[in-house]
Amino acid sequence: MTLSERMLKIDRRIIFLVIGLCTLLPLLYPVGLPIKISPEVRSIYEYIESLPERSVFLLSIDFDPASKPELHPQAIALLRHAFRKNLRVVAMTLWVSGTGMADQLLTQVAQEMGKEDGKDYVFLGWSSGGTAVIISMGQDLYKAFPSDYGGKATKGIPVLEGVQSLKDVAYAISLGAGNPGVEAWYVFGKDKYKFELGGGCTGVIAPGLYPLLRSGQINGLIGGLRGAAEYESLVGQKGRAVAGMDAQSATHFAIIVLVAICNLFYFSLRQQQGRSRQS
Amino acid sequence: MDATTLGAWMATGLTLFIFSFLYKDNPLFKLAEHLYVGVSVGYHIVKIFDSVVVNLIYKPIVEQEEIALLIPVAIGLLMLTRYLPKAAWMSRYAFAFIVGVGSGLAIPRTISAFILKQVEDTVRPLLSMAGGDGLTFSMNLLNPASNLNAIIILIGVSSVLFYFFFSIEHSGPGKVVARTGIVFLMIAFGAAFGYTVMARMSLLIGRLTDLIEFSDASYGHPTLWLLIVTVAALFLLARRRQQEPPEAH
Repeated sequence: MTLSERMLKIDRRIIFLVIGLCTLLPLLYPVGLPIKISPEVRSIYEYIESLPERSVFLLSIDFDPASKPELHPQAIALLRHAFRKNLRVVAMTLWVSGTGMADQLLTQVAQEMGKEDGKDYVFLGWSSGGTAVIISMGQDLYKAFPSDYGGKATKGIPVLEGVQSLKDVAYAISLGAGNPGVEAWYVFGKDKYKFELGGGCTGVIAPGLYPLLRSGQINGLIGGLRGAAEYESLVGQKGRAVAGMDAQSATHFAIIVLVAICNLFYFSLRQQQGRSRQS
Repeated sequence: MDATTLGAWMATGLTLFIFSFLYKDNPLFKLAEHLYVGVSVGYHIVKIFDSVVVNLIYKPIVEQEEIALLIPVAIGLLMLTRYLPKAAWMSRYAFAFIVGVGSGLAIPRTISAFILKQVEDTVRPLLSMAGGDGLTFSMNLLNPASNLNAIIILIGVSSVLFYFFFSIEHSGPGKVVARTGIVFLMIAFGAAFGYTVMARMSLLIGRLTDLIEFSDASYGHPTLWLLIVTVAALFLLARRRQQEPPEAH
C-alpha cells in the first residue's frame, strides 16, 4: 500500500483528534488575533448608538440552547449596548424551547448593568402562533402578550408606557437560529408595520440572509460567532465570542490544510494508478 | 452541592457522553441522547401548557370573561376529533381554517418580501448619476452597491435562471451561459458550506469552553473526574465486547 493510499484510508478519529486539539489549544493559550469589524455589524452598532435615550428596543431571542454558543454572546453584547444607551428593552422569544435561557440571559445582563425589571426592561416570554404572534403584536402588543414571563399583566408596566404595537418600536433585532427568525420578522413585521429591523443569526443561515441585507430589508447582520466577536469588540466588553476567535481561526486553518493534503494525495494516487495502467 | 455545581456536573457529563460517539457508538451516548429527547419533550409540554392553556385560554376566559375566545378554542378542539374515527371529518374544518388563514397571510407578504423586493434589488442601474459630473461607474468590489457588483449580480441571476430553464438544449452559446450559472451556483454552495463549517466549529468551541470552565476547583473538577469515568467506561465496554462469544450466523 502506497503512502497516498494509506493517508486516504486514515482512521477518521485521527482527524477528529486534530480538530479537537486545534480548538482546545487556542482556548487554553489564546494568541489574540485581530478582529476586523465588518460593515454589516457596524451598521447595527451605529443604529443603536443613534437612538435617543428611552427609545423602545425590541430583542427577539429566537433560538434555543442548541445554538447558544453562537447566539448567546450576540444577545449579551446587544443587551449590554442597549442598557448602556439607556434604551427601554422589550425582550421576547418565538421559540418555546428558548424561554428559560432567554429569561436567564436577560436577567443576568440586567443585573450586571444595574437595570430594573418593569422599569428598564421586560421579558414577555413566549406566545403560541409563531409568525402569527408578530402580526398580533403589530395590531396590539397586549393581546399577543397579556402578561409577561413572570405572569404580571403587561398593561401598566412602566417600560411599555406609550407602546401599543410594533409601530411604536424604534428598533427591533431578531437573533434567529431558523424559522421563525429574522426572515419572519421582516415578512410579517417590518414589511407591514414599518419599523427598523436588524438581524443576528447562526453561521448556517447567514448566507441566506445576505440578500435581505443588500436590498436594505434589514439594516445590519451579525453572523455567527464571528459577528458576535465583532460586536463584543465594538461594545468594548470582550467575552466568550472574542475568546473563541483564535480557536475558530486555528480550526479553519486546520480544515484548509486537511482539504489541501487530501486533494494532494487523491491526485497523486490517481496519477500512480494511471501510470500502473499504462505499464 | 448547590444547583450551579450540580448543573456543571450534569452538563459536563452529558457533553462527554455525547462526544464519546466520536470514538464509537456506545451506551453512554445513547443515555445522553435519550435524556435530551425526553427532557426536551417534557419542557415543551410544560411550557406550552402554561403559556397557552393557562395564560392565553383559562385566565382570559375565567378571570376576564373574554367569552369570544371560546370560538378559537372550539376550532382548536376540532383538531382532536382526528382521534375519533367517526368524527374525524370535523377536524377538516379546523385544518381548512388554518390553511386558509395561513395562506392568506403568508402569500402576499412572501411575494412582496422575497420576490418583488429582490427583483427590485437585482435590476439596479448599471451606471449611477453623480451630481453634476454626469454618469459614473464605480468599480469597488467591496461595496455591495457598486455598479460592478450590480453587473455581477445581473450576470449571476440571469445565468442561474437559464441553467434551470430546461426547454432549450444547453448547447452552443447556451452552454456557455449554463456553465456560467454552474460557476455562480458553486460559489454560492461553497460560501454556504464555509459558513456551515464555521457554525459547527463554533458549537464545538462552545462546548469546549464550558468543559474548560467546569474543570475549575470551585465546581469540584467535574471535567477531570467525568473524563476519567467516560474513558474507563468505554474501556470496560470494549473489553466486555471482546470477551463475548462471536454471534452465530
